[in-house]
Amino acid sequence: MLELTGVHTYYGHIHALKGVDVKVPEGEIVALIGGNGAGKTTTLRTISGMLRPRQGSVTMQGRDISGVPAHQILQMGMSHVPEGRRIFPQLTVRENLEIGAHTITDRRLIEERIQEGFTYFPRLKEREHQLGGTMSGGEQQMLAIARALMVNPKLLLLDEPSMGLSPLFVEAIFDIIVELNAKRGTTILLVEQNAQMALSVAKHAYVLQTGAVKLSGEAGAIAQDESVRKAYLGED
Amino acid sequence: MENLLTAILINGLLLGTLYAIIALGYTMVYGILQLINFAHSEVFLSGAVVAFEVFRLLGPAPDAPPGSGMNPYLVLVIALVVAMLVCGTLNVLIERLAYRPLRTAPKLVPLISAIGVSLILQDVIKFIEGTQGRFQLAVNVPTAFTQTVFSVADNNIKVRDLVLIVVAAVMLFGLDRLVNHSRVGRAIRAVAQDRVTAGLMGIDANRMIALTFAIGGALGGVGGVLFALKFPNLDPYSGTVPGIKAFSAAVLGGIGSIPGAVLGGLVLGLVENLLGVISSFSLIFPKLAFLGAIKAEYKDVGAFMALIIILIFKPSGLLGRSTTEKV
Repeated sequence: MLELTGVHTYYGHIHALKGVDVKVPEGEIVALIGGNGAGKTTTLRTISGMLRPRQGSVTMQGRDISGVPAHQILQMGMSHVPEGRRIFPQLTVRENLEIGAHTITDRRLIEERIQEGFTYFPRLKEREHQLGGTMSGGEQQMLAIARALMVNPKLLLLDEPSMGLSPLFVEAIFDIIVELNAKRGTTILLVEQNAQMALSVAKHAYVLQTGAVKLSGEAGAIAQDESVRKAYLGED
Repeated sequence: MENLLTAILINGLLLGTLYAIIALGYTMVYGILQLINFAHSEVFLSGAVVAFEVFRLLGPAPDAPPGSGMNPYLVLVIALVVAMLVCGTLNVLIERLAYRPLRTAPKLVPLISAIGVSLILQDVIKFIEGTQGRFQLAVNVPTAFTQTVFSVADNNIKVRDLVLIVVAAVMLFGLDRLVNHSRVGRAIRAVAQDRVTAGLMGIDANRMIALTFAIGGALGGVGGVLFALKFPNLDPYSGTVPGIKAFSAAVLGGIGSIPGAVLGGLVLGLVENLLGVISSFSLIFPKLAFLGAIKAEYKDVGAFMALIIILIFKPSGLLGRSTTEKV
């Protein structure tokens, strides 16, 4: 589905990604874990066109998409739930969802997808006409995911969906992630600080460190790896 | 006394409506780019110049008998449409050439660029319209617009006053439908709130920014035509003072807020007119003789004093949101 080969990305003069190789097979959940500043968010931003790789390639379903601007990448069937949720605070929940469907012109289809979103996240229906910015972090995360689902993506990029949420909400969000993957066959690339949670739902995992892949393999094997246990799973 | 208050009210509302239409151009651009488009006063003046040209070419000859020639309302509609097109396009070009290349520069830089564009446009207008070094345009306002329709307490309401109110109301209604109830309006608001995330939603931010400039410019053009009807003597600097006033109105109402721009315009128009006639109160109330010193020339001072006083007590403006840093 998605393949990164030798990707180098810079922020100005800062060399953030130093040759990242990642493969996301169709229909899988792949986890990208690592500490602060390891390049996880940068990797997602490079994939979704927010950043342009200086070297290397990003291909989706065999098509080179490196350098395609973010606002066109949606049409390829990819949705990105950005770090920090980034819902539109001054738009209502419904308007946020409608914005997610900006590229769709069929009003009936938009309405259908909104209702579908409400079945995944009934709480959003209760808050339909409330401003996005007035909701709790967990609700905003639900909205951000529901908004990304409006285009019915084949590939979903999730950046730290558990950040700042109560354990109850983390559980709920991960249940949805697993359900999306199982029922709709959505391929998911999941970036997480919460390595334990991410490894429990993913099939494959990559460990990033200072802009390069340090370790990769089956999620189960990664979870058993001693260095990973020490660094990211809080064991010693 | 009654006549005086009615005069303040009527003239204040008319002038305020005009300020409101112009202020919308400042506030919409600020809302999406956090940029003060200082060139907007010249964009607005371009609308007035368009009105001058259209009325010169299509309006009745000065010595023609009344009722001859093209229907004055049709001429007005032509002037409005041409002004919207010219000023909308002009504003989009300004954004493309003078602001977009500086998008990532510190905020002061595009501001300087805006002042530069403002000066360039003044000279361009002078160059196009000026003859023999002097530049005075007397707009050939059809007499149909200067006739009195009715009088309220000795104040004559003219056709052009009603035209101003009606056109402004139509513009505001259209703008509300466009911004708050349409797909592109929603996209514009999304870009204003978070440009990067709007991109992730498939919205081309640059197109929405250009569209905002087009809308703001078109509103400025309409304001220019209405201004030309009411104040038919133009020169290359006629845009400056109304421009500054309209900008003040936008700040007064809370810059970035569309209802704020309208409210700010009306408040400013009223305050200004109140100050303009305040010396007359000394004649009515002998105890207020000191007010006699405040001559009509001070009305601009009054408008800006009102701005300063309101900003001291409510820095975000009447309807503005206090800005909180994003985390």
